[in-house]
Amino acid sequence: MQNAKSSTHDRELHISRLLDAPVELVWEVWTHPEHIANWWGPNGFTNTITTMDMKPGGEWNLVMHGPDGTDYKNKSVFREVTPFKKIVYEHVSAPKFTATVTFEEQGEQTLLNWHMLFETAEEFIQVVKTFKADEGLKQNIEKLALYLKRK
Amino acid sequence: MKARRDVYQAIADPTRRAIINMIATEPHNVNAIAEKFDISRQAISLHVKILMDCGLVIIKQRGRDRFCEAQLDQLSEVSAWIDQYRQHWESKLDTLETYLAKLKKERYAKRKK
Repeated sequence: MQNAKSSTHDRELHISRLLDAPVELVWEVWTHPEHIANWWGPNGFTNTITTMDMKPGGEWNLVMHGPDGTDYKNKSVFREVTPFKKIVYEHVSAPKFTATVTFEEQGEQTLLNWHMLFETAEEFIQVVKTFKADEGLKQNIEKLALYLKRK
Repeated sequence: MKARRDVYQAIADPTRRAIINMIATEPHNVNAIAEKFDISRQAISLHVKILMDCGLVIIKQRGRDRFCEAQLDQLSEVSAWIDQYRQHWESKLDTLETYLAKLKKERYAKRKK
């Protein structure tokens, strides 16, 4: 139990994906609002990006418009921006978390690592619990993922 | 009216998580639990009560002692939902992948012209 405080395993989420695109292109779609609007999810949502000031301390404001007309405001602040390598941003609206995105060049492919560290386990649990309430949304995501694969 | 208790509420508190960790391997009586924490025995009893209401702890009487035993089956519900939340982010990467493929195709077509 001595490790309970220093350990972060109960409040973090880590996903990674090897993308079939060179790091320059992955960086480009990650750092330009007009690109982000095309893939920032969940599927079925559209996005409006009012600010995206990609420098340490710069703000990033993104509104996700849900299929039912609900708007979800997301405000973040960039902490670190190292071109073609790393982006660290703090999601300052609820749920609070710090995300670290790294880009690893692997020839013509790019390994993208996405790590989210929530401020507290309580906050993470709350998010998971909220997400639990959202089964309908999840079904939408699955439907759209199938649709996109067929395209 | 009784407040609805669920497994999320049980683990939303650091002291309760510590209690679960403690009794996960072997049952402890309430006094033994209370000794390990800097808060009052009453406060520990309240946490144990909430854990019982949430179905994560059962009390077994052994002689004069009351032992708290962990019932961890319910926690798998939480990990299942964490997996789904992960899926939600994975789907974002699915969309990114599709979008990248589309961009590559468009740019390659332009170059060929």
